[in-house]
Amino acid sequence: MAVTEIPVAAPAARSVEASQRRTGWFLTAPAITLMGLILLGPVLVALVLSFTDYALGNSGFNWVGLENYEKLFTRSTYEKMFVATFTYVVTVVPLSVGLGLGAALLITSVGRFRDLYKTIYFLPVMATLLAMAIAWEFMLHPTIGMVNRTIEMGCGTFLEAIWPFMAQGCEGGFPLWLGDQRYAIWVVCFVGIWQGFGFNMVLYLAGLTSVHRELYHAAEMDGARSAWERFRLVTWPALGPTTVFVVTISCIRAFQVFDTIEAFWPQGAGPNKSAYVMMFAIFEKGVQQNLIGIGSAITVVFLGFVMFLTLIQRWLVERKVHYG
Amino acid sequence: MADLHIDGVVKSFGETQVLKGISLDIRHGEFIALVGPSGCGKSTLLRIIAGLESQSAGDIVIAGRSVAGVRAADRNLSMVFQSYALYPHLSVADNIAVPLRMRTMGAVQRLPLVGRWMPGAAERNREIDAEVRKAASTLEIETLLDRKPGQLSGGQRQRVALGRALVRDPAAFLLDEPLSNLDAKLRVQTRGEIAELHRRLGATFIYVTHDQVEAMTMSSRIAVMMEGQILQCDAPDLVYEDPEDIRVAEFIGSPKINILPAELNGGSLRVLDRDIARLTRVADQPGIRLGLRPEALRLSGADSVLTGVVAHHENLGSEVFAQIEVPGLSERVVLRADPSARRRLGLGATVGLDFDIGDALLFDTSGKRLRPVIEAARAAHQVA
Repeated sequence: MAVTEIPVAAPAARSVEASQRRTGWFLTAPAITLMGLILLGPVLVALVLSFTDYALGNSGFNWVGLENYEKLFTRSTYEKMFVATFTYVVTVVPLSVGLGLGAALLITSVGRFRDLYKTIYFLPVMATLLAMAIAWEFMLHPTIGMVNRTIEMGCGTFLEAIWPFMAQGCEGGFPLWLGDQRYAIWVVCFVGIWQGFGFNMVLYLAGLTSVHRELYHAAEMDGARSAWERFRLVTWPALGPTTVFVVTISCIRAFQVFDTIEAFWPQGAGPNKSAYVMMFAIFEKGVQQNLIGIGSAITVVFLGFVMFLTLIQRWLVERKVHYG
Repeated sequence: MADLHIDGVVKSFGETQVLKGISLDIRHGEFIALVGPSGCGKSTLLRIIAGLESQSAGDIVIAGRSVAGVRAADRNLSMVFQSYALYPHLSVADNIAVPLRMRTMGAVQRLPLVGRWMPGAAERNREIDAEVRKAASTLEIETLLDRKPGQLSGGQRQRVALGRALVRDPAAFLLDEPLSNLDAKLRVQTRGEIAELHRRLGATFIYVTHDQVEAMTMSSRIAVMMEGQILQCDAPDLVYEDPEDIRVAEFIGSPKINILPAELNGGSLRVLDRDIARLTRVADQPGIRLGLRPEALRLSGADSVLTGVVAHHENLGSEVFAQIEVPGLSERVVLRADPSARRRLGLGATVGLDFDIGDALLFDTSGKRLRPVIEAARAAHQVA
C-alpha cells in the first residue's frame, strides 16, 4: 500500500508547492510593482539620464557617455561640492551621535525633570528647519545679531588677553559668519548638530531602556569601579545595534542636508560656494538650471554613497553587534 | 574567606520597612540559605550584603571589618544573579575573565587593541587565561569557552555565571535564586552540583531562594525570613522538626503541615472537643494550634479524633498523599501513607487518623511554639 502511494503523493506535493509559490508571487505583486514604479524605476531613469545631455522640454537627447561624470570629478565647482559635503558629514555625524549619546546618558541618570530635558533637546528636531534657519540667520547677523553682540560683551575683559579670537574681534570686528567663507560651512554644521542630536538622543534613550539593570550590578561586583568602566563593559556593547543604526541614519541625513543652505543662501550655497553640498548641487543643476544630465550624475553618486553606507550597516548589524 | 556578621540591619523604602532589624552570624565555610516567600526581603538583604544597596541602619562586618560605606566592588564578594547577568558581547572565556581583568590589570593594560602591548599585560593575560581554564574545568565548561552567552542553554549560562563568581577567591559567594530559570530536572541536578561545589571549595555561600526544597537539600543552615525578619536560623532538620514559629512550620515542608485548632483547659489538650493529652508547665489558653506533619499521621480505626472522608489522593509511587475532609475542620488534613495503604484510601472512603502527641507541634495564639511537658498522652483512638 505504502509503496504504491509514494508516486501518487509526490506530484501532489509538488503541485501544492507550485500553487503556494504562485500565491506568494501574486500576494507580493502589488508591493513589487509599487517598489519598481516609484523606487527602482526612477533610479534607473536617473542612471540612464546621467549618460545624456537631456534637458527638460527638449524633444530628444544625445548620449554623452561618461562626460557628466568626468566633469564631476575634474571641475573645481564639484571639488568644492565634495569638500563641503564631506566636511559636513565628517563633522556632524560624530558630534551629533556623541552629543545624542551624552544627552541620553545624562537624562537617564537624573532623577527629576527627565521629561523636561527630553522635550528641550527634542524641540529643534520637531521645529521646521527652514524657520529655524531664518532665526539663526538673525542671530548670526554680523552687527545686530545676538551672537556677535554677546561675544562683544567680552571685549575689555580678561578674555581678550587669553583668547586670540577675542582680541582680533574686538580690534577688527567679529566674523561675518554666514558671509565669510572660512565660517560658512561650520555654521551650517553647527545648525545641523543643534538640530539633529535630539533625534539621536531619543534613539539612544530607547536603546538604553533595553540594557539589563542586573548587568550593571554584575559589573560592580566584578570590580568595575568607575562609571567609565561600567560604560565600557555594559552600556556601550549593549548600545551597539542602536549605535550602528544611529550612525547610519545620521550619515544619510547628513548627506541629504539642503534646507539650511537653501534658507541661508538661496542663490549661491555660501560665499564662494563654500557650502555647496550635494543636495544643493542636484537642486541647482537639475532643477534651477535644467541640466538634467549632470544633475542625474550627481544623484547617482549620491545614491552610491547612501547604498555603501547601508551595506556597511547591514554587515555590521549581522556580523558585529548582534550577539544572539 | 572569612566570617560574616549581619548586625541589626534595617532597610526602609520611604514609609515601608522591608527589613526590620536582621542579625545573623555566618561562620566561614557555611552554606546559609535565606528562604522565604516573595517579598520577604531576602533578596534585599543579599543586595545589602553585596553592597549594591545601602541599609538604613545596622552594620555588615566581613572578616572583622565593617563594610559600611565600602562599595560593592571593594567588598571582595562574588555574586551569581538570577538572570545570570552575563555580558552578551563577550565570549564565555572573556566573561569569566572580567573579574580578574578588572581587579588585577591597570586601566591602560585593559585598553582595547593597544592594551595587550603594555608592559606586563601579556604575562598577566596568560595567568588570567590559566585561571579561567581552571575555573572552566571545575565546572566542566571547557568546550564552551569560545561561545557567546546567546549560544548557550540555560544550564550552561548558569555554569558560566558560577564560573565568573569562583574564578577569584572571594570572601563569600552570594547566590540570588540561581536555579529559578532552569527546568525542574536540571534544577535537581544543579542543586546537587552547587552543594558539591560548596564542599569542594569550602567557601562561604549565602543562597537566596523561595524554594524550601533547595534550602533543605543544600544548606548547612536555613534562615527562614518572613515580613522582613528572620524567624528562625537553624540546620535544615531542626527547622523542619522543631520550628519556633507556626509560619516556619507552614513554610517548610511539602505538602504543608496540618494545622488543627486546639484548646488548653486545666492542663487538658482538646482537639475537636476531645481530650487527647494532659500537659503541664503551660498556662491555659484558648485558640492554640496543633501542627501535625503529614508523616506524623497514620491510619487507624473509625472512632479516632480525626475521622473523615478521602477527598483527593496522589500516588507518587514511593508514597501516597491523601487529602481527608474532616468534619469540623476548615482545611483538609493531608496524610502521607505507604503505597501499601493505597487500597484503604480510595476516594470517598471513610478513614480514621491517629497520631502520637509527641509528634505534634503546639503553637500559642500568636504563633510561637509551646513546649509543654506531656504528662499523660492518650492516643487519639483510645479516647472514649
